[in-house]
Amino acid sequence: MTANDRTAVEGASNIYDLGYRRYDGVRLGRWWAVLALYRESLRGAFGLGRSTAAKVAPLVLIGIALVPALIQLAVGALVPADLEIIRASEYYGGIKYILALYCGVVAPDIAGRDQRNRSLTLYFTRAISRTDYALGKLAAMTTAMLLITLVPQVLLFAGNALSTQDFGGYLADEWTQVAPIFGSALVGSLLIASIGVAIAALTPQRAFATAGIIVAFILPIIVAGILVFEIDADATRYAVFISPLDVLDGFTAWMFGEPAATDTAVHEAGFALWAYAVVGLAVSALASLLLIRRYGTVQA
Amino acid sequence: MPTLETPIFETRGLSKRYGVVDALDRLDIKVEPGVVGLVGANGAGKSTLIKILLGLIAPTAGSATVLGHDVRTRGTDLRQHVGYMPEHDCLPLDMNATEFVAHMAQISGLPRAASRERAAETLRHAGLFEERYRAMSGYSTGMRQRAKLAQALVHDPALVFLDEPTNGLDPAGRDEMLDLIDRTGRGLGISIVMATHLLGEIERVCDQLIVIDAGRLLHHGSLAAFTAATETLEVEVTSDAGPLARRLEEHGVACTADGRRVLVTTDGTPPFDVIRDAVVDLGLGLVRMQQHRRTLEDLFRVEAIAAAASLDAPDGATGQEAS
Repeated sequence: MTANDRTAVEGASNIYDLGYRRYDGVRLGRWWAVLALYRESLRGAFGLGRSTAAKVAPLVLIGIALVPALIQLAVGALVPADLEIIRASEYYGGIKYILALYCGVVAPDIAGRDQRNRSLTLYFTRAISRTDYALGKLAAMTTAMLLITLVPQVLLFAGNALSTQDFGGYLADEWTQVAPIFGSALVGSLLIASIGVAIAALTPQRAFATAGIIVAFILPIIVAGILVFEIDADATRYAVFISPLDVLDGFTAWMFGEPAATDTAVHEAGFALWAYAVVGLAVSALASLLLIRRYGTVQA
Repeated sequence: MPTLETPIFETRGLSKRYGVVDALDRLDIKVEPGVVGLVGANGAGKSTLIKILLGLIAPTAGSATVLGHDVRTRGTDLRQHVGYMPEHDCLPLDMNATEFVAHMAQISGLPRAASRERAAETLRHAGLFEERYRAMSGYSTGMRQRAKLAQALVHDPALVFLDEPTNGLDPAGRDEMLDLIDRTGRGLGISIVMATHLLGEIERVCDQLIVIDAGRLLHHGSLAAFTAATETLEVEVTSDAGPLARRLEEHGVACTADGRRVLVTTDGTPPFDVIRDAVVDLGLGLVRMQQHRRTLEDLFRVEAIAAAASLDAPDGATGQEAS
């Protein structure tokens, strides 16, 4: 046996002792930990660092949400006319059900995954508090929603600008749209995300969470539709506020300073549009508080 | 953070009540750094104590500090320096061990590059090599326990809580896990609190012992002092040993009867003459007298017998409380 062989064998005999060293470097504390939680939650929601199967559903839905914007871009490139197929202020009305479905797919991953794995314990025994955890998850879900609300809107804006003959002129005329585009995307994402994670955090079962979220968004649209359009009494008009996606329609119109589209429950109910902004923010706050309370008491 | 003199944890009047059950009952304890065995039957309050110290549940009454920090007010700060390996499954099986352990390091506050580096080092320390790049769903129970241990150590904690770390392991896996714990505690100087109901494991790796039963502290001290200083003389006779025990007690000898055996507790030379005379007087046959160091099992046997005896006594209330 050569000296080298002997070293190799000796190395192998206590191989477990290799590696571990004490760490006296910097510890970045609580906010860094929340940021890491946020990042990993977002990665997990899109299946990054997971199997291919986990990537399919969210990416397909984002793709579908992008279709109207892409069509607008294509039309703008091919048809030399001032043709604006979709206006930014009416965009969410068009992809309402996609928003609900996307939330139903992504939120159970962001808010329910650690409960399914029983790894909440590992988070709550580290540098974050339970409230930090809830806020990190809410931030991750809101960001995930922005991918399906803000990104297509920005593309749409660019598409509309390109479809006009006068790009610079379009920007000069339409720059006031930029703030509403960002504002409505932010508030809308927060509204849908907070409701989605508040429901998803209630159960470790993915299927229940998805079903619960879809029901929570779709059922109120139907109920509000019946009460506002069919019964159409003074008292029943208020039903429009129980539907988060109708509320989203309302405050989007308010932010763009335009009247609600004529075929919507918001238009039919006839309330001042700022009321939808108030309700939207109030519902987001309530859902966030319920989320914090849920993680504050959930057994870990 | 903590100096060598800082107790790893300290509790004052710590209580936790679930409905009518006292999971912890006014626990006062101060524990110095080292490898500490936390032992008690199932439901004795081990996990409750650990969960309170980690801030997972709030105590009903009393206070606790870990590494000198109050668990209620300084939880997030102190938990940067504490590790925890839960008893139950807690791994995201769709992730690989490297990604998962590095993520957990960041949740403990370590920068990204340091997290990756330490994840690799810690997994190697825990005995996971090439397999650390595979999804954990394909891991055996032993490998999962190693990954669980690695996530508890990755941020180089000053103190680690291990809750039943050998649960579900076969004898070989159990041996390896105990070796690993020994290397981590004695080799690296990380304080460890290990909850178990297996006394053999405590005797093998721990230098301190805490025994709790029904939420109360039965014993706390150095393991060496416990097993070495107290000696037990086992006296076996041909029939029921009860009368012999009573006779010995009349002579001021501390003992307990257990079937045909009397366990005599001594601090020095056992009173052989007294025992011999008592056996002869009672007309019993002496089968054997064997002197042995007290084992942890004896602690439980003596406590159980004492509890049973006080149940029989007219004022049985004390016994009921302790059982």
